[in-house]
Amino acid sequence: MTTAIVIGGGHNGLVAAFYLAKAGVTPIVLEARDEIGGGAVTSEIHPGFRCPTLTHEVLLQQRIVRDMDLGRHGLELLQPAARVCSLSPSGPLVIYDSPDRTNQSVRAFSGKDADAFPAFEKAVERTASVLASVFEYVPPSITSPAGTDLWNLLKTARAFRSLGRRDAYRLLRWGPMPVADLMHEWFDHELLRATVAAPAVTGTMLGPRSAGSSLMLLMRDAHRQLAGGSPLRVKGGPGRATRALAAAARAAGVDIRTSTPVERILVRDNTIRGITAGGKTLEADVVFSTLDPKATFLRLIEPSELSPDFTGKIQNYRAAGTVAKVNLALASLPDVGCAPESLTGRIQIGPDLDYIERAFDHAKYGEFSERPWLELTIPSLIDDSLAPQGAHVASVYVHYAPRSLRSGDWTVARDALLDAVIAVLEGPAPGIRSQIVGAQVITPFDLEREHGLSGGHIFHGELALDQLFTMRPLLGHARYRTPIRGLYLCGAGTHPGGFMTGASGRLAASTALTASEI
Amino acid sequence: MRYDAIIIGGGHNGLTAAAYLARAGRKVLVLERRHVLGGAAVTEEVFPGFQFSVCSYVVSLLRPEIIRELDLPRHGLEILPLDGTFTPMPNGDYLWRVNDHARTRREIARHSRLDAEAYDEYGRAMVAMGRFVKPILGMQPPDPTSLSPSGLKQLLGLFRRFQQLPPQDQYNQVQLMTMSSVDFLDQWFETDVLKATMSASGIIGTFLGVRSPGTAYVLLHHYMGEIDGAFRSWGLARGGTGAISEAIASAARAAGVEIRTMAPVSTILVRGNTAEGIVLENGDEIRSNVVASSVDPRHTFQRFLDPDMLPDEFVEDIRRYKFRGSSAKVNLALDALPEFTALPGPGPHLRGAISISPSVDYMERAYDDAKYGRFSRRPYMDIVIPSLTDTTLAPAGKHVMSCFVQYAPYHLKDGTWDEQREAFGDTVIDTLAEYAPNIRSIIRHRQVVTPLDLEREWGLSEGNIFQGELTLEQLFFLRPAPGWARYRTPIDNLYMCGSATHPGGGIMGAPGRNAAMRILSDRTA
Repeated sequence: MTTAIVIGGGHNGLVAAFYLAKAGVTPIVLEARDEIGGGAVTSEIHPGFRCPTLTHEVLLQQRIVRDMDLGRHGLELLQPAARVCSLSPSGPLVIYDSPDRTNQSVRAFSGKDADAFPAFEKAVERTASVLASVFEYVPPSITSPAGTDLWNLLKTARAFRSLGRRDAYRLLRWGPMPVADLMHEWFDHELLRATVAAPAVTGTMLGPRSAGSSLMLLMRDAHRQLAGGSPLRVKGGPGRATRALAAAARAAGVDIRTSTPVERILVRDNTIRGITAGGKTLEADVVFSTLDPKATFLRLIEPSELSPDFTGKIQNYRAAGTVAKVNLALASLPDVGCAPESLTGRIQIGPDLDYIERAFDHAKYGEFSERPWLELTIPSLIDDSLAPQGAHVASVYVHYAPRSLRSGDWTVARDALLDAVIAVLEGPAPGIRSQIVGAQVITPFDLEREHGLSGGHIFHGELALDQLFTMRPLLGHARYRTPIRGLYLCGAGTHPGGFMTGASGRLAASTALTASEI
Repeated sequence: MRYDAIIIGGGHNGLTAAAYLARAGRKVLVLERRHVLGGAAVTEEVFPGFQFSVCSYVVSLLRPEIIRELDLPRHGLEILPLDGTFTPMPNGDYLWRVNDHARTRREIARHSRLDAEAYDEYGRAMVAMGRFVKPILGMQPPDPTSLSPSGLKQLLGLFRRFQQLPPQDQYNQVQLMTMSSVDFLDQWFETDVLKATMSASGIIGTFLGVRSPGTAYVLLHHYMGEIDGAFRSWGLARGGTGAISEAIASAARAAGVEIRTMAPVSTILVRGNTAEGIVLENGDEIRSNVVASSVDPRHTFQRFLDPDMLPDEFVEDIRRYKFRGSSAKVNLALDALPEFTALPGPGPHLRGAISISPSVDYMERAYDDAKYGRFSRRPYMDIVIPSLTDTTLAPAGKHVMSCFVQYAPYHLKDGTWDEQREAFGDTVIDTLAEYAPNIRSIIRHRQVVTPLDLEREWGLSEGNIFQGELTLEQLFFLRPAPGWARYRTPIDNLYMCGSATHPGGGIMGAPGRNAAMRILSDRTA
């Protein structure tokens, strides 16, 4: 009987554990914190106010939702009317689920853009569908591709082919392009450009003018397609989603232990032996780490167990976080001059590309943005269990906030960051300062220290061309296996990366299982 | 009379294409708009007695097979070594890398012992990478969407070669193709000034900063010259870069090419969907079986042709092909040599390149200015004083100094380049004076070549020195337009042979040679 341990009770860990259990290898999941969920948790930020602590998006793949029967375990899907509401001095631009309403909203800013928008969305959806096919399999081996690898690549080649010449070339061109250039090719109005472009630079060390940012846009859409819809449609948000995952895993027989931080991964003769947690040794034949590659290899494993070359490359793996999180408890709904219904999706404050780029400039020099661009949600609008009657919570992503400040440190800068965020919010929501009854600031330093994210990087490492697919986390080590026999990576630091899809957990488990390694 | 081929543009690529076609027995006419040949590879006596390589100023990538096949040395080409890169720093220190490996190591060790060790390793890795990339330069890019047997074979061949690289080289190669120069160099080195100077090559001719992904690839180009062994990685042509064009022109003439200067083309003649010749601005019609344009796609397809003749998609692709010139030249006639505070005296450090790139942040801030539509308040500069190596360029005791300056965005937010010219020139001199305070007192003449000048005088749209940005989305099978990277155009018998085609700009000659090969194989098939 194989003993398996999963380090980390985030969504990927729970997904991996479920698939292992289904195959008869019942694992133990060890979570350091006192609740499961990792980056996908909802916690009380102020008495009576509950808010998604970190991520507020869920993009669990449909097949995982199906396999784990999450509906039965408490997952409820909603259909928010708005996708994004972009606030600006010239009023809000809203992209709705309904194309007609979107058209109307965009048309108020530019008729030409209103005409171009559906074509753009279609082009993104088509080109991203090829990436979606890539997100469903284990990256191929470069040196000796096996039959399945070739078969998978052939499927992708066919998907690429079926795009037709126009879209096929779009995919090739767009991949390395700065998203600002892509926006200039399609749209005239700065507000729409910024609204569409911002998700491409979320969570990364990229500005809209950085090459390669367009790829992020396609990747997000690919994940959206695999999830079957909006990232904001899970009732109760990420916290509810992970609870459903945990319930499904438990039902499959998984043993989940919280408040059990793993201190060491034990290795002998290049083979996994087990782990130590709380001073106690737990032996295991296989260990799955959902932690990021740096945390896994540099923090938990004796350096002498790894080759200097491998260690050097992991050290060079880029994971410098750029995001802070601010969670606000609000006495009432801030007045931004549009109907509450328009605020049920993402809300963006960052009215033009230069605004976002200027915010990024600070990050390059180790400063947080003077005027950050914000992406927020008000989850209490669609889930009244989160805040007292009439009150609300806002979950705010703040860009940019680099992990390493050149002068000062985050324990001091935290208050200044909150001030900067409130100052920006005051623009479209005058008076919001007085509505705030409680605030939680999570700096990249906190992300690293409290949530174990190396460098405070929310995606477990930059999602950039050089760290994707067969190169995530490293070329030659992108197939969930590691140089240590029996140790697997299954977190966002593996293909296909972040966004709470569960894909890494599923693929890692299937790799280990199909190779009959366990 | 009817020519086999007319080449529009007498720059180095046009002349190269012409020479190859003529050597294959074709009757070729080259038409140059200006009074001198060479395009941007040109030497001009801007001020009496002072000869300048007005635009392009160094040579590093000229394909050795072209030098050999066209026998350029016999036609007067002589490449003089340009040894080293000297980077003065604001704190009075400097970094001076030379071709002598041991000396460079010692110099780097002065800044960081670790970096000195890494430098060897880095050099070895880059040579290996260069060896992988080199054959791609001579390739006719495949069409990845066609899945034709020959295209597939080419792509598979590339993959096979990649597969055969040692794992470490695969890793490096992938990083080089995708990373930013700074991120790439961060993995090797810790010395800021070293990284800044090295990363500079990644941004030349692009509208990107050194931290932007995709800029690492160009680092390779500095090592390619060395692999060929024909000449050092960087060199100067005796007589200025115009001498390169002259040598190619001489080889072309010897092969029977007819060359006319001051012969601006106004239209490409098309009947049905086939090019049949050109019309000069003076109204003369000249017929030919093939027309090859070495000027950029905006001129070729938007000025010489009626866009209505072209497929809509193609017109659209050309319209959004990115030029966005980001650099300028300042050419100085000097009464004496500059004295650098960091290393005074007329030492050999003045004979190489002088790089104003003291830190990564400096480079990045220079870019930040450009992003918002102004020239860099403190620009990156690559400077050479060719008269130290080639005394024919200036009167005895006097010198010519060429300053390549980035960023100088074509699109200014305020004012025009004609209004900003002198302010820009002053900024360049002010920047220089911070490192060589005597500069102001030794300047006899100053020529400022703005991106707008590059467009008006040299026909480089938006002043882009490479006839279009060298960024990943405009390289290889995407240069200049998806599906049209094999030198052909939607018009039969009309070809492209300039820097806007694979493998791009720089005095390389590869586009001209590749295009000639394409034309010859099409015409015999």
